Amino acid sequence: MKKKLLPLFLLIILTFNAKGQSYNNLWIPDTLNGTNFNLRIIDTFAQIVNTGNQTITGAINGKFWGPTIFVNKGDQIQMNVQNKLKDSVTIHWHGMHLPAVMDGGPHQIIPPNTIWKPYWTIKNEAATYWYHPHLHEMAMEQITKGIGGLLIVRDAKEKALALPRKYGVDDIPLILSDRDFNSSNQFSIVPYGDSMLTNMTLRAKYDVPAQVVRFRVLNAAIERSFNIGFSDGRTFYVITSDGGLLNEPVAKTKYLLHAGERIEILVNFTNQNGSNVDLKAYNSLLGNNIPGGENFVNGPFANFLGKKDFNILRINVGAPTANPITSIPNTLAANTYLKAADAQLTRLLTISDSSGFPNILGPNAFLINRKLYKLNYNEYNVPLNNTEIWQITSSSIFGHPFHIHDVEFNILSINGVAPDASQAGWKDVVFVPGRTGNTNSVVKFIAKFDDFADPLHPFMYHCHIALHEDEGMMGQFVVTNTTATRNLDPLNDHFNVYPNPAQDRIFIRFNSPNQSAYYVKIIDALGRTKLMLPQPHLENGIDIHSLKAGIYHLLLTDQDSKRTSSRTFVKPE
Amino acid sequence: MSGNMSFTNLIIFPFIFGILFTSRDEPRIIQDFTLKNVNNEMISTATYNDAKGFIVVFICNECPFAKLYSKRLNALSAKYKSLNVPLLAINSMDTLVYEDESFKDMQVKAKSDKFTFPYLHDVNQLVAKNFNAEHTPSAFIIWKEQNQWVLKYKGAIDDNGEHPSLAVPYVANNVDALLKNKPVLLNETLSFGCRIFYR
Repeated sequence: MKKKLLPLFLLIILTFNAKGQSYNNLWIPDTLNGTNFNLRIIDTFAQIVNTGNQTITGAINGKFWGPTIFVNKGDQIQMNVQNKLKDSVTIHWHGMHLPAVMDGGPHQIIPPNTIWKPYWTIKNEAATYWYHPHLHEMAMEQITKGIGGLLIVRDAKEKALALPRKYGVDDIPLILSDRDFNSSNQFSIVPYGDSMLTNMTLRAKYDVPAQVVRFRVLNAAIERSFNIGFSDGRTFYVITSDGGLLNEPVAKTKYLLHAGERIEILVNFTNQNGSNVDLKAYNSLLGNNIPGGENFVNGPFANFLGKKDFNILRINVGAPTANPITSIPNTLAANTYLKAADAQLTRLLTISDSSGFPNILGPNAFLINRKLYKLNYNEYNVPLNNTEIWQITSSSIFGHPFHIHDVEFNILSINGVAPDASQAGWKDVVFVPGRTGNTNSVVKFIAKFDDFADPLHPFMYHCHIALHEDEGMMGQFVVTNTTATRNLDPLNDHFNVYPNPAQDRIFIRFNSPNQSAYYVKIIDALGRTKLMLPQPHLENGIDIHSLKAGIYHLLLTDQDSKRTSSRTFVKPE
Repeated sequence: MSGNMSFTNLIIFPFIFGILFTSRDEPRIIQDFTLKNVNNEMISTATYNDAKGFIVVFICNECPFAKLYSKRLNALSAKYKSLNVPLLAINSMDTLVYEDESFKDMQVKAKSDKFTFPYLHDVNQLVAKNFNAEHTPSAFIIWKEQNQWVLKYKGAIDDNGEHPSLAVPYVANNVDALLKNKPVLLNETLSFGCRIFYR
């Protein structure tokens, strides 16, 4: 791929870097705060390549990647997700512990021009999470376009610590990915790109103050892992794993971050005013069974960054701010982690290459439990409140970042060895290494499946390499409450809507006081879904001011019976 | 990485190249078409007796990248109408899925952007299929040769959406060449923007 251009490309890079002219100032995503968030997913464009045409992108509210959403633990938050793309989409809240029907997996498809309104109470610990599309077979394309963003949880425990938290000043978001641009500056939809993209910026630089700086690092790449470290070999301190603070900062000079994973790190620039250093990916050190460690010269996986070291961010150190943080804290949290003895059962999963199963999908896919994902096939019923060990045995030649929805887990072992201190905290992605010779690799983690049971909507587990996920390296489970009683009396899920005609709000009157809605959809006369309301609060009616005049059908799925019936109403001119 | 795809490529690529090369060799003929203008008049390529060719541009109401081109399309139309190369803009978006692409909203758009050219509604997407249009905005130049419309160019209007002053005007350059009885400078560029989904 573009082999002839490589020497020219390298020459240009070297020339520009020597003159120090080629850096672009790091773009920092906007922020949203509060409890009610309007997210408008749009087709748009952005000037990502310095010269020439704009790149067609997807975005949320802005140009590329969405706003960084700040939420507080304990708050109930309402998301108003409007799809203004010319395509269907879903938005998954990666790492969030929430009801499956709010989770934004492949089943919660938002058609064009539809508003989806999930809400939930933040139960997660303070850490950096994210949101991104999860439409089956479309995840790679839609994430490549830039649909997604950071979701940062704050809580009292984190607030009490002396940590940097001035966003964009000493608390800096770094969304790592790579992109391939064609001759017209448009994205190619490929697993590996030729250019490192930090947030929305090629060849990024940023000024940081001479004090302790926190970087919130997300690997949002389609496939590539980043073996991050600094050009002067300095020590940095990992303070979070995916889903919360570690017990204490863990000193590192390199950290290998896989697709979907997040870490927050502290770097001490105190008394370094006027100096500079590069944050780099030391991917030349990666084995060829780790994403980004392969050295393909030809074919669909060939790229300029494979098995190479490359810059993520040029850091220029400037004057410190007022009231700077100047030291790394000794302790962060007193976490109580799950222990193997807590588990009620162990589930045995497998990861394999499909080459041994040619009847399934030819030789090109990777499989979980020897099958490809199907939207209507449920692999596991997990009893509510179960604590389970998931043991993944991989015979794949290649490593895979395994992600599970609903829970944060603790890694028990990777090939029989307890995890490094930096990975001993709450996690939602674990890298399952490729097999060694003929020896399969085995990863065990433990999780508690509490709070949210739903027999209809499943949670996903999958490889977070979007290409593999799209190709079917995914499965699903439901969490079921076996002790719950259900009212299945057909006369008791009757309801009416009023007033009719309705102008700004429509109300629902149930037949019995115990009734509630599992799902409400409002559909126009031509069958276009306008509003999707999972488990809506109905006391104050449903806001319909955004609807145009016309005839509408309200489809209500009863919470107990899960039966769906419809009522028709009119919105007058 | 996803296993070995080169074997599949070996088999498929010769087929694809075969198709491309055979279709390149023969001129593509576009049939006359008739569509409804935002003024509710039927506009037909067959009734433009003096036309040497047409600039046909697929746009829509809501695509942000297509929206950048309203002024440029007015300028192209103004320049080439008098040279007997009229510009026709066509909206082929699916109006069932995309409410904002309705005929009513096309009328609003034509008025607000002061379109000086016909803005036509390809309600059944047949004209777009005939051109094989993939995105909005995308431009086609058809030219009259032996009483047929021959496709001379397909692709982008120019090469810079946001900064017209920096752009190479592909369509204008090609029409200028054709008006001088010269071959087009480029017969194809990449078009991109919002995808036209076919029902």
